Formats: sequence, C-alpha cells, structure tokens
Amino acid sequence: MADTGSPDHGTTAALRILRDAARRGAVAQRFVPDAERRLLQSIVDATVRLFDAEASSIALFERDPDRLHFAVAAGPQGQGVIGHAVPPTKGIVGYVFSTGEAMALSDVASDPRFDRAAAEKTGYVPRSIAAVPLVDGEEPVGVLQVLDKRDAPAFTLRDMELLGVFASQAAAAIAATRIQRELPALMRASIAALGDGDLDDAAIERLADDASADLDRTGEEPFWRLVAQVSRLRSLGAGELRLVTDILDVVAAHRPPARRR
Amino acid sequence: MSEPDDLPAWTEPFRQLGRDRIMRPALLEGVSRAWALDGATGAGVQVAIIDSGVEGTHPRVAGRLMESHAVALTDDGAEVVPDPDGGDMFGHGTACAGIIVGLAPDVEIISIRVLGADLKGKGRAFVAALDWAIARRIGIVNLSLSSKSEQLYPVFHEIADEAYFSNVVLVSAANNVPGASYPSLFSSVISVAAHEEPEPRRLYYNPSPPVEFGAWGVDVPVAWLNGSETLATGNSFAAPHVAGIVALLRSKHPGMTPFEVKAVLTAIADNPRPRDGAPAS
Repeated sequence: MADTGSPDHGTTAALRILRDAARRGAVAQRFVPDAERRLLQSIVDATVRLFDAEASSIALFERDPDRLHFAVAAGPQGQGVIGHAVPPTKGIVGYVFSTGEAMALSDVASDPRFDRAAAEKTGYVPRSIAAVPLVDGEEPVGVLQVLDKRDAPAFTLRDMELLGVFASQAAAAIAATRIQRELPALMRASIAALGDGDLDDAAIERLADDASADLDRTGEEPFWRLVAQVSRLRSLGAGELRLVTDILDVVAAHRPPARRR
Repeated sequence: MSEPDDLPAWTEPFRQLGRDRIMRPALLEGVSRAWALDGATGAGVQVAIIDSGVEGTHPRVAGRLMESHAVALTDDGAEVVPDPDGGDMFGHGTACAGIIVGLAPDVEIISIRVLGADLKGKGRAFVAALDWAIARRIGIVNLSLSSKSEQLYPVFHEIADEAYFSNVVLVSAANNVPGASYPSLFSSVISVAAHEEPEPRRLYYNPSPPVEFGAWGVDVPVAWLNGSETLATGNSFAAPHVAGIVALLRSKHPGMTPFEVKAVLTAIADNPRPRDGAPAS
C-alpha cells in the first residue's frame, strides 16, 4: 500500500480487528484494574511474612532508557524503594537480571568499600540481600529481592529455592497481563507490519490513534458505563447476582425490534 | 511453615538429607584425591572467566589476572577486544576469580567481560566470548550465565562440542529458574549447583543429571567491588570452586581431556560409598 492516507480493503479489515483487540483490552482493564500490580503486591507481602524480612520488592525491566523500576514493595523497610529505578548494569539486582542467576549476599553493610550507592538512595542499607530473576519464557522481565531476615544473618539454599517459587508466581502474573500492557506497542507493531515498510512513524501513530480513539473517552458513554457497572457486580453475593441476571434477561428480551437484527 | 512440593530440586542431592541418593561405589579405585590433586598449584593452566570483568588489583585475585578483554558489539555480530582497564561492573567476576585463585594460586586468569553492555546483544556477546576462548584454547572456561533462548540452542550446542573437541573444559553454574538453559545443560559441560558445607575442595557427583556436580556455594567469603569482601550464596559461586579444582587437576596432569576430567572428578568426589557388597543406588 503506497497511499498511507487511505488504507486498502485488507488493511481496513485488519485495522478493524486491531480496534476490537484494543477495545477488549480496555474492557479487561476496567474489569480488573491494576491486576498485575495487585498480584505482585501480594507476592512481596507473602515474601516478607514467610521470611520475616525487613523488606521485599519487585523491580520490572523497562526500556528507553534500560532500567529496573521498583514497582511494588512490602515490609517495614520496603517503602522507600518504590518508584526508584536502577540501571541493569549496576548492583546485585542488575546482575541477577542480566544473568538470570539467583544470588544472595550477606555481611554487605560491614564493609565500607562495598557498593552501597543504590541501597543508600532508598534510605535503607541492608546487611543481607537475596535476589532471584523473574523469567517469562526465555526472557528475564524483572527481579524479586528480599532484604534482611530478622532471625538470621544470611539466606540459605532453602530460602533461595522458596524465593524461586515466589518468583515464578510473579513471572506468571506478569505474563498473564503482558498482552494487556503491551497492547499499544503491539498495535503499532502490527500496523507497521501491515504497511510493509511504507508507513512512516507519523502515519503509524495516526492509524493507532484512530484504532484506539473510542477508548480515550471516559465515563459518560453508555458502553463504558455498562462496563463499569458490570465490573462492580463482581463484588455482589450469589443472590444479588441472580437478581441482576434476571433483570438483564428481561432488558435483553425487550430490545427495540429495529435493533434485533 | 508448610513448604510447597514443587520446589526446584537442583541442590537436593547435595544436602545432608538427600545424600543417600547419590551413594556411589568407587568405580575408579586407583584414582585417589592425592593422585589427582596433591602438590598441584594450577601452574601453567589458564582459566577464562566470562562474566562482569575482574578487578585485577583485588587482594584475593593476588595478581593472577593476566589479560582483560571485553566484547564489543558490531553491526553484524560481536568481537572480543582488549579491555585492560575495564575492571568489574558488578563484583561477581572478581568473586569468581578470587575463588579460583584461592584454590589454585598459580593459575592464570583471563577475564572476558560480557555484562554491563547493551542487554539486547547479550546473547551475541556471550557467544562471541565463548568462541574466542575456545579458539584461544584456554583450558578452562568458567561461566556464570546461560541463555534460555531456543534460537541460540543450536549455536551453543555447536560451541559446547567445539570446546569438547578442543580440550576446553566448560564449567557452568546451574540455572535455578525452571526450564532449560544453555550451554549449562549440555552433557559435555560441567554443570554445578551449590552445597552448603564450607569446604572449598568438597565435591559431590550427582548421577542423575542435569546438574552433575555440587560444590560449596553458601556463605562463601568472596572478593567484591573496590577491594571489598562479602559472603555470597548461589550456584554461580559453586561453579568457580569446580573450575579451581579442574585447574589443579590439569596442572598436575596436563593434557587431560574434558571427559577424563569429568571421570576423575567423579572418582574423587566426596559421595558416600556403599559398604562392601551393598548395591550401588
């Protein structure tokens, strides 16, 4: 397709599919807002409890520039790290991410020559640290770390293996929501592929905006109001849900005849 | 606390409780630890450390860092270039060097830094470093990283064979993350997981692969950045213990091939031995 202004028939169909995909993604987002963050939070909460640790956190890899961004944390000393990012070329978290090898260090605070810069930025310098990679398929996507068990100066092999199990849970949570998270990038990539190299960045951007245009309007539209209401129904009890279902059945049966086809 | 049943079991056979499972008769009875290692210093043996670089001035490295290289990514690949002042990006490569020199004080360490550069080229950099070390016939290569890329499987397979036939022993830390990783799981590679007994020369052989050897990897005193020290835990601190033992072995018995090295490691391993007449498990 040479004329990027008016896409051909096949492209129009493909764009329609992309638009549907974007819509479904947006609906899923409304149903379970923040699903990934909440799952990851529950994993660091559990990690802190299980290890009786001062802190636990998960850093996720982000690009441009490459960095490991601390998305969730738990524990008395955990909060300071949230929102911080470290380059994957630095520190224990960076090493574990880069190699995919789990590792623990202890007695780190006692040696003043040790690289403490990253820890100091978060306001807490641990005595010991254990870090395991989160691997989604072939690729590391982040790191789970635990700082300072209260009842022991170091981490055992058993600890490392348990942490590995927690990390695979976190990786599964990330994988499950990845499609949703990557939808905008996915859409741009698909449009670029459709264009077969003929589209410049501006054209790709315009088509992507067009495909997701519906999704930017918030709240008031009937469709999104319905999505929001259905999402709220999730907290209802069985009896109330039955009632709502019965009401919806009645409403559906009374659609105006003109719309029935 | 209840424990899940699906814990990864790489280190299981190397623990006190699981050790009955690796009971082995002494099949190569003439091969003793004294014959294999006594008096060896690692002299004349080179060990390549493909990792984060090595801090040559660290006391634990004891002046044994002979060469420092780094991988530079090019448009269509990667090449190994001299990097004399590169140092260590993380501390880990220096930790490995210190462990190896601690076991084999006269060994020659050659560092090839693959970490700390562009992550997108990590796989390519790793391949280039291995190719280079094998082409140089560096006798032992210590690896703390592996790749899970299916795309690179055939590449690493070829490299592992190339190393084997070039008499280069690849020693690789087992990766604890579920799923295959290369080249650590190839049969010609010596894969290592951690045991927790503080004995640098204590070695266990696991006859049920993938991970074949256990070496000390818990609370190991190691070198770290800027001349510092720390205590480290992980399979990647167990692998350099085996690399150090292999360096001793090859300094005393030059020309030993990778499969002979493996056989001798098995023979001198500290596995429990069955009593006379008892069947091997």
